Amino acid sequence: MRDLLGYLLKRAAWMVLTLWAVYTVSFVLMRSVPGNPFSGERSVPPAIERQLKARYNLDAPPLQQYWDYLVGVVTRLDLGWSTRLEDYSVNQVIAEGFPVSATLAIFALVFAILLGVTAGIISAVYRRSTADHVLMFAAVLGIAIPNFVLASLAILLFVFMIQIFPAGGWGTLQQIALPAFCLGLPVAAYIARLSRTGMLEMLTKDHVRTAYAKGLPKRTVILRHVVPGAMLPVVSYLGPAVARVLTGSLVLEKIFALPGMGSHFINAATQRDYTLAMGMVLTYTVLLFVMNTLVDLTYAIIDPRVKLR
Amino acid sequence: MPPEVRRGIVIFSCLVTLVAVIWAARMDYVPPAHFSLQNGTDPKTLDPHRATGQPESKIIFELFEGLLRMLPEGSPDPKTGLQPLTPQPGMATSYEVSEDGKTYTFHLRDGLVWTDGTPLTAHDFAWSWQRMLHPATACEYGYLISEVVLADEYHHSIVKVGDRVEVELWDRPGESSGSDANIQHFPRGTMKYGTLRAIIKPDQIVLPDSASDDARESAELDWQESWVYQIDVAPSDGSGNVDWDGPTTPEEFSVSAQVARDDSIQRTHGVMVDFQHFGGAQAVDDQTFVVRLNNAVPYFLNLVAYYPLFPVNRNCIETHGAPLWTKAENIVTNGPYMLQFRRLRDRIRVAKNPDYHNVDSVGMETIDFISLESQNTALNMYETGQIQWAYDLPTSVLEELKDRPDFHSAPKLSIYFYKLNHDVPPLDDIRVRQALSMAINRRQIVEEVSKGGQQPAYSVVPPGIAGYDNADGLHEDVARAKELLAEAGYPGGRGFPKISLLYNTSETHRPIAEVIQQQLQNNLNIKIELKNMEWGSFTETVQMEKYEMARYGWVGDYPDPNTFLDMWVTDNPQSNTNWSNLEYDGLIKAASTELDSTKRMQLLRQAETILANELPVIPIYFYTSAEMAKTNIEGFAPSAQDLHPLQILRYRSETPKE
Repeated sequence: MRDLLGYLLKRAAWMVLTLWAVYTVSFVLMRSVPGNPFSGERSVPPAIERQLKARYNLDAPPLQQYWDYLVGVVTRLDLGWSTRLEDYSVNQVIAEGFPVSATLAIFALVFAILLGVTAGIISAVYRRSTADHVLMFAAVLGIAIPNFVLASLAILLFVFMIQIFPAGGWGTLQQIALPAFCLGLPVAAYIARLSRTGMLEMLTKDHVRTAYAKGLPKRTVILRHVVPGAMLPVVSYLGPAVARVLTGSLVLEKIFALPGMGSHFINAATQRDYTLAMGMVLTYTVLLFVMNTLVDLTYAIIDPRVKLR
Repeated sequence: MPPEVRRGIVIFSCLVTLVAVIWAARMDYVPPAHFSLQNGTDPKTLDPHRATGQPESKIIFELFEGLLRMLPEGSPDPKTGLQPLTPQPGMATSYEVSEDGKTYTFHLRDGLVWTDGTPLTAHDFAWSWQRMLHPATACEYGYLISEVVLADEYHHSIVKVGDRVEVELWDRPGESSGSDANIQHFPRGTMKYGTLRAIIKPDQIVLPDSASDDARESAELDWQESWVYQIDVAPSDGSGNVDWDGPTTPEEFSVSAQVARDDSIQRTHGVMVDFQHFGGAQAVDDQTFVVRLNNAVPYFLNLVAYYPLFPVNRNCIETHGAPLWTKAENIVTNGPYMLQFRRLRDRIRVAKNPDYHNVDSVGMETIDFISLESQNTALNMYETGQIQWAYDLPTSVLEELKDRPDFHSAPKLSIYFYKLNHDVPPLDDIRVRQALSMAINRRQIVEEVSKGGQQPAYSVVPPGIAGYDNADGLHEDVARAKELLAEAGYPGGRGFPKISLLYNTSETHRPIAEVIQQQLQNNLNIKIELKNMEWGSFTETVQMEKYEMARYGWVGDYPDPNTFLDMWVTDNPQSNTNWSNLEYDGLIKAASTELDSTKRMQLLRQAETILANELPVIPIYFYTSAEMAKTNIEGFAPSAQDLHPLQILRYRSETPKE
């Protein structure tokens, strides 16, 4: 238990450092690209631009801005007001967008794990059968096809030809189905391949042979002695999978008109919404960091040989 | 770790997953509205004084209502399918215009109320117009009413000695004389009124030649803040009544905290002309609103029906502050619809306002403005019945949609063109500009590339403005273009410097730029380099005039040629072409004071002819709208300004209750 606490503390310290670095780099990058949040088709008179800048503290010297904003984030968790979505503070934007992105990610991941692991086990157990070939071919396709292509195909198939799902929007479970499917499928394909490899490796292990020799039924051997060990590579892939699901949703949110965080991320950057872009970058950093830490923990739990450091 | 614990943790993580799935599956379902429409990118704000774009304006037109409102008059034009819209009574029942066209008197309806139940009076308009013009509101449409008496001076905080001025002391809630400003400029600090006696200006700091434009601009503004204003303050009570003939006391004010540290100088947010008492927007009584103009503006009624001049609720804004007053739980409005809820990047739901003066004419009970950025998604949702109106369709399928009964296409008051930078030779040579323009085959562009039924443009004012006869420009003529180029010193394109064509990253701009590149190469043997930038960098590059040719578009603010012409006068901040023509400037100025409408249109036409001949910009095409609306909707028709009053829409089976 002690090394667990120590490990968590160490990770937390690293996260703070990473966040600070990310904050600094984003701050400098955002302000060094041309344009500002108020540049539009119509040029704003200088006096009015100054009023606008004052409203968002952009009239202060850069170092002062850097410090003021940092203090706001650290002491009040206040990411400021969005400069483009004027009626919203960045915290409100995240509060509205995060549950949508999280819902989508949860469905996509659960779907990917269930489908991927099942397919992997079947392929490995019935190795070299037609089922194995078909599944693994499908997995290669799943990895190769980008999710926006998949989305177009899915819309054609399930929205227009067989009319069971709505074309877009958010609010019902039907509306989540297609985007979660498109987001999860490539991950499922990857997991299928990983679990098949893991299974095949485990099947040759001594303890499995012993289990068979004891006369245990095949089913018990597979579920008790093979699957748990075969899941190790899958668990270690969950970290990148979370990252992939979170960032992959950027495109799908646009295609399916979902009000998640991904579209804010893109728009904030192209519209020079300094505060919103910063808020998004920091949120994603925290999310990915926490998820990776959780995956490392799980890994240690499943495999007793792994030591937390 | 013992196996039991490990097993426990596996079970625990399964439980966590289960809980997560249940949490995710609990959806917040909202039944669809009676009418849903595609509304582009998420609206920036619902504040009529801060909004600028199309998506915002569609919503604000339904939530708020001005003195007048654009409504259909007569039947659609049989040729173009355009429904004429005219400014018709909104909050005002009637209005009078003085003979010289400089005074407008609006009479408000009886019994008007805001959605919070309080009465709406002419004073609300006076206050709203003042808020719109206040520099700290930073309304981008302030210039629209610059002809209103003192409006321009107030909007740009210009004061002269002898002016009657207002002074806002540095005591807004939470402010002390040395503190930072409270950015909420309403409610205002203590107001003092008086006559400006003198401005004491310190010496200006001389910047080195190497200083950047930004540094200069900022030094200039800093210097202006350090001015000390000497004002004879007239006695006034707390509620804004001023005794201008009473005994005055001389007082001194300054914006700068350093200067105001001296006890005899009071710190102020600014000294501005007293628009509230002497400006051209005055409430005579609760139901009479009078507007005085410096010069007659022929399209003034159109401006009054435009959303930046719509009233906002003073009490709401002063209680909640900007932008919190726009939240669904706070906002107070006066239009045919009221805000129900707003979901970011999802939808804005409005419902019929029962207190609206003409509530019986309002068709749909609820309307959803759906935030939809992707054209394909919009079309998919339209086809599957999730939305009933889509206005931005993918170009690739326009050909197929064209013949359907629910497809509407009509010319719009907007133009697609390229700006030429006259600071870059050889673009300062009129022959070169003409040659470039004459070598571009616009018909090929509209028929093979943009494909939306756009009209080739040879001049800058779109067709379809009542009473205006468009100037004729230079049509394609490759042979003449070659001659002109040779005369300019580049026979056969030899020696022509490589110029670049700049456009913002977009699926529609790239192929057009490529075709033009090809045409200039084939017809004139000129090599053009294509450069694309994403929007933020693009606008900055053009505004800093670091380009050679740049793509641009312009949508008319009001149905008058002036909106397409006045930005090309010398030193207009929107021009960015460095083109200057004194005759042109003179014509635009003459037109702005001409009262006779026919003569005025002739002056504008002369100006347009100069523009079409001198070509500071190369026009490419006039936009057309391409939209789909379900055939069972009554009252839907395209209009030149692309305005669609939604309150007149209804489904065919539902007949109005009479």
